[in-house]
Amino acid sequence: MLTVSVKWQKKVFESIEVDTLQPPYVFKAQLYDLSGVPPERQKIMVKGRLLKDDADWSKLGLKNGQKLMMMGTADEIVKAPEKGPVFMEDLPEEEQAANLGYSAGLVNLGNTCYMNSTMQCLKSVPELKSELSNYQSARTKDVDQTSHMLTVATRELFRELDKSVKAVAPMPFWMVLQKKYPQFAQLHNGNHMQQDAEECWTQMLYTLSQSLKPPSPSEDPDAVRALFGLNLRSSEESSETESVFSLKCHISHEVNHLHEGLKHGLKGELEKTSPALGRTAVYIKESLIDSLPRYLTVQFVRFFWKRESNQKAKILRKVDYPLELDIYDLCSEDLRKKLEAPRQKLRDIEGQKLGLQASAKSSSNGDDVKMTDAEGSSNGSGESSSGDQQGGAASHMTGIYDLVSVLTHKGRSADSGHYVSWVKQESGKWVQYDDANTSLQREEDITKLSGGGDWHMAYIVMYKARLISM
Amino acid sequence: MAPVPDPNSVGGGAKRDEATTKIPSKDSKKKDDKKEEDLSEEDLQLKQNLELYVERVQDPNPELQKIALESMRKEIRDSTSSMTSVPKPLKFLRPHYGVLKEFHAKMAESDLKKMLADILSVLALTMSAEGERESLNYRLNGSESDIGSWGHEYVRNLAGEIAKEYTIRQGEESSIEDLMDLVQQIVSFHMKHNAETEAVDLLMDVEDLDLLLEHVDNTNFRRTCNYLTSAAKYLPGPDDMLVLDIAYMIYIKFAEYPNALQIALFLDNMQYVKQVFTSCTDLVKKKQFCYMIARHGMTFELDQEMVANDEDKEALQDIVNNSKLSEGYLTLARDIEVMEAKTPEDIYKAHLLDGRASSGPSVDSARQNLSATFVNAFVNAGFGQDKLMTVPSDSTSGSAGNWLFKNKEHGKTSAVASLGMIQLWDVETGLGHLDKYFHSNDNPVVAGALLGVGIVNCGIKNDCDPAFALLSGYIDNEDSSVRIGAIMGLGIAYAGSQNDQIKIRLSPILNDANTPLDVIAFAALSLGMIYVGSCNEEVAQSIIFALMDRSEAELGEALTRFLPLGLGLLYLGKQESVEATAEVSKTFNEKIRKYCDMTLLSCAYAGTGNVLKVQDLLAQCGEHLVKGDIHQGPAVIGLAMVAMSEELGLDMEIRSLERVLQYGEQNIRRAVPLALGLLCISNPKVTVMDTLSRLSHDTDSEVAMAAIISLGLIGAGTNNARIAGMLRNLSSYYYKDASLLFCVRIAQGFVHMGKGLLTLNPFHSERLLLSPTALAGIVTLLHACLDMKSIILGKYHYVLYFLVLAMQPRMMLTVDQSLKPISVPVRVGQAVDVVGQAGRPKTITGFQTHSTPVLLAAGERAELATEKYIPLSPILEGFVILKENPDYREE
Repeated sequence: MLTVSVKWQKKVFESIEVDTLQPPYVFKAQLYDLSGVPPERQKIMVKGRLLKDDADWSKLGLKNGQKLMMMGTADEIVKAPEKGPVFMEDLPEEEQAANLGYSAGLVNLGNTCYMNSTMQCLKSVPELKSELSNYQSARTKDVDQTSHMLTVATRELFRELDKSVKAVAPMPFWMVLQKKYPQFAQLHNGNHMQQDAEECWTQMLYTLSQSLKPPSPSEDPDAVRALFGLNLRSSEESSETESVFSLKCHISHEVNHLHEGLKHGLKGELEKTSPALGRTAVYIKESLIDSLPRYLTVQFVRFFWKRESNQKAKILRKVDYPLELDIYDLCSEDLRKKLEAPRQKLRDIEGQKLGLQASAKSSSNGDDVKMTDAEGSSNGSGESSSGDQQGGAASHMTGIYDLVSVLTHKGRSADSGHYVSWVKQESGKWVQYDDANTSLQREEDITKLSGGGDWHMAYIVMYKARLISM
Repeated sequence: MAPVPDPNSVGGGAKRDEATTKIPSKDSKKKDDKKEEDLSEEDLQLKQNLELYVERVQDPNPELQKIALESMRKEIRDSTSSMTSVPKPLKFLRPHYGVLKEFHAKMAESDLKKMLADILSVLALTMSAEGERESLNYRLNGSESDIGSWGHEYVRNLAGEIAKEYTIRQGEESSIEDLMDLVQQIVSFHMKHNAETEAVDLLMDVEDLDLLLEHVDNTNFRRTCNYLTSAAKYLPGPDDMLVLDIAYMIYIKFAEYPNALQIALFLDNMQYVKQVFTSCTDLVKKKQFCYMIARHGMTFELDQEMVANDEDKEALQDIVNNSKLSEGYLTLARDIEVMEAKTPEDIYKAHLLDGRASSGPSVDSARQNLSATFVNAFVNAGFGQDKLMTVPSDSTSGSAGNWLFKNKEHGKTSAVASLGMIQLWDVETGLGHLDKYFHSNDNPVVAGALLGVGIVNCGIKNDCDPAFALLSGYIDNEDSSVRIGAIMGLGIAYAGSQNDQIKIRLSPILNDANTPLDVIAFAALSLGMIYVGSCNEEVAQSIIFALMDRSEAELGEALTRFLPLGLGLLYLGKQESVEATAEVSKTFNEKIRKYCDMTLLSCAYAGTGNVLKVQDLLAQCGEHLVKGDIHQGPAVIGLAMVAMSEELGLDMEIRSLERVLQYGEQNIRRAVPLALGLLCISNPKVTVMDTLSRLSHDTDSEVAMAAIISLGLIGAGTNNARIAGMLRNLSSYYYKDASLLFCVRIAQGFVHMGKGLLTLNPFHSERLLLSPTALAGIVTLLHACLDMKSIILGKYHYVLYFLVLAMQPRMMLTVDQSLKPISVPVRVGQAVDVVGQAGRPKTITGFQTHSTPVLLAAGERAELATEKYIPLSPILEGFVILKENPDYREE
């Protein structure tokens, strides 16, 4: 009778007797008693060989006191789960895009970064997207052929962007755009020229506002105007209003902040004969905002025509802009009155959010609230009418806007350099669309695009109105 | 310079500098002429005396001659016993040198003539024209009196002239007997006067190092050997081997066995290793030898001759088999308190990246999970626990397979194999963990289990041969992924073992026409690993046939590169032995011919520092190629392999790679980061780090990937904060590019390998010894990285596990004579090169005192800070046995 020792995991079973006349299965049964590993799961290693159940002991050349090694556990055998996990790599492209949380970039077709960045900014307006998706593919009479085509191309481009993960090459759209606006097809040394993104932006909005007009000759303004348009009223003659798609932020030596620039931009100087003085005089025309848009677009007037060098020069001055913009003091008296109540409500809500402090104070503020309430009620009729005009929604403008997208320019002149757009996603994250490349950005970095160097600097910024339901 | 000779100063270690001895002499001569009247009375007296002697020497009366010569000799001897400037007697005798020479020529043979020759020999020291060797000539004609009586400078001058004379006589094939007599005298003089380096230099010049053995003694043999071993690195073959042979013999002569063993291992001379064991009688010392052999990763069987007692033999064999490595490593881990398992997220540290990475999708990405698998495996390597694979099986839904099934198809192979990595070196427990996967019906899972068995057995030998027992049954499985798992497992487990049984099983695969290419590739590689550096002809033949059988299309496959690599590994570091095979490789299909050529050349000269081969390889890199040639990649890696052996060559190589990077073509640029990674493996040099960081943003994504992997390699196991930061930033920079992100993750895993307790450096024992298996593992990974897309980013990502061959704890663990760990204070600091330095210089600088076990970073050295113990090995690395110092007294 031989005795062997068997090593199993950290244990050693000393001096186990081996009955060499019995098949090794018997030996395994012995080990089963000791280790609890069923014989069929036991792997016993003898000098680089496995012990088979029906092996012949004599051929193994076992020595007395030899050390064997056993492998095996009573563990459950691993089974693959019924339903394997789904991997991102296996998903169809659309779902991958959905998982990414933001849409794809646009391929640069040769100096088309101005177009790419403009389209990325416009695409970030969900209302515009939904209007576009409702747009009929069949052309109505009152839209000209090319405008219709551009609108359809825009719709298709937005659709494609939402579907794909990889960058989209906006070829069809680019062809139509050139057809509609031949100035974008200009060539320089055989290449397409760099263009001013602001021009593209304005033209796009103009076209869309034309084609997205309600079919019937109703009084309602078109969808684009409802979203982006704002009325300016010069203070002197209150009847004269001007409808624009964007505000200008003029940059002079005094301007350090968007707010100052806007004020500056609303002031216009014009020379005309004064009946009182009997000569030409400089009139200062000061406009005020009469109605607020859902999306407030502000263009930084960074480019001016420099006669000496015959080119569009750029003002590199740093102009800060806030993430949250309040344009209350740029509004006309009428509008301000309308805004009072929603603003108060907003303040209250924010106060509540801040918690106990605010509620403790609210009792002392009670009088103020009443007073403003009273003021608000006196203007109640006017307000409700404007509310109806805006589609009867229960939400009201507050005059406070949140930054949603920034289109930046990098370079020294309008016809060169590089345009990039920075868009805030619904998730609250900022994404930089640099043609085909997209990357996540930090919110702090967005406000750093205010100029004053050779880094990207804001050229067009878009704010979204903060609405409040009353 | 004061013209007064200082008899006390012995210019023992100072470099011989002829200029300093000759130039002042001229100066002083000019002064002499001008300002004779300025001489002090004493000097004037001396001058007149000498002039008188010169006249008397020419006197016909031999008696007078003799007196004059003797007086002259006395004057000179009094002042030449040392020499920092030209002594006065020599100065005053200068004008008479010509006269004396003439007279000597005219003299008849006599003792007096010899005496004059002696004096002329000394005078020639400053007088003879460059290259005339007059000093030597007169010496040979002289009286052969005690050579040292003329001072040290004289001896050194003679030694220089002998070297020159020797080469001339070798050219003329004339007798050198008279020279050798002189050499004898000079060597014995040098050895007695702390000038071992000069003695060795002279003997090397006259190619008779054996003489050294007669002259070394207890006081100077250490310095002598130290100089010999360091000089060997810069000598051309076969002189280097000769020099090391002498060093070995000296060590054996003085019973300095650990050093002797080191050299025996360096020479890869089993005869010598045996001799060390048979010469040494102390069992505890033999245990220390076993630790050294184990660290070298050598398969070594003790026999009756080396250890008589069976029980002792078993204990020693256990050490050689590395069976206690896991225990030691865990002791270190517990001491440093890093046992707690780390998750991949702990390594990524995404929270430091301003919320970008947290924007990760809700759906699992197979690629990302795979990288997490690797990171988890490398970081928790050897700790036996982690938070993905070894979590208790009774957790919610789906059991321990949870993480496993978050990997896709071939990803599961790597996932299961990662268990082997986590249980590294702990065979029994590891097998227990892997067992259940053997019973899976999913082929990638079984393949992973097989590979895992190989990994867990890496560097560990066991009597029961569990790896072979378990894996051999799967070598001929019908599924090729299972086959690869088994074959690669065997390659890793038996690397360097030259196991015949495995060869018998694997060789037929190579030459079987029905075997898929990937199986053949891995079989060739595994055979290369198992027979690494063996020059085994049979294996070489089978790989050569396999290569010849490949069709044109197959030769274009990425995996085919493993065939030449397997072939190359057979000759790793074996220099000329490769030539026959290299000749055969010239007949290969031209698609693979050059690749094979470069691989063979670079492997054969790996770690030799052979400058000629470096030039050969550089020349290959200089060519501008026709498209499609891929052999420049291995040439660039080869540059690093050859040059990595010593610091000087390494620094030069880093510089020349910078040039290659600038002027080379794209396929070279892709390999340069990998070469840098190999040169500085686990040794994050700041300059290299910067270069790689720059390349990691390269526009060519393959260059960037290689640079990222190399960043991981140079920081492997160091936890280097700077590299970790770089990689973190790269992870956010490349967060959208799945392939690059994968590389970044892998590199992050490397940097935190073993939570900073491991090293990949194949060099150990103070950078003297190169572990061939470790180098084989790294080189295989680098070759795989030459075609990242099809191998590591494809479905053969498990080649990353070849790195396990190079993974070693970078620790110093002290144990007592019964091998129980004991804690003693040690000083750890930057190592200082003390070769050829006079006196007893400090060997480390900028040290800190710790208590063992301690970690050693690259270029660091430890020394005991207590007199209480004596280490049994002069190299304080890995396991060191301490003996109590019998002379120690508690203060």
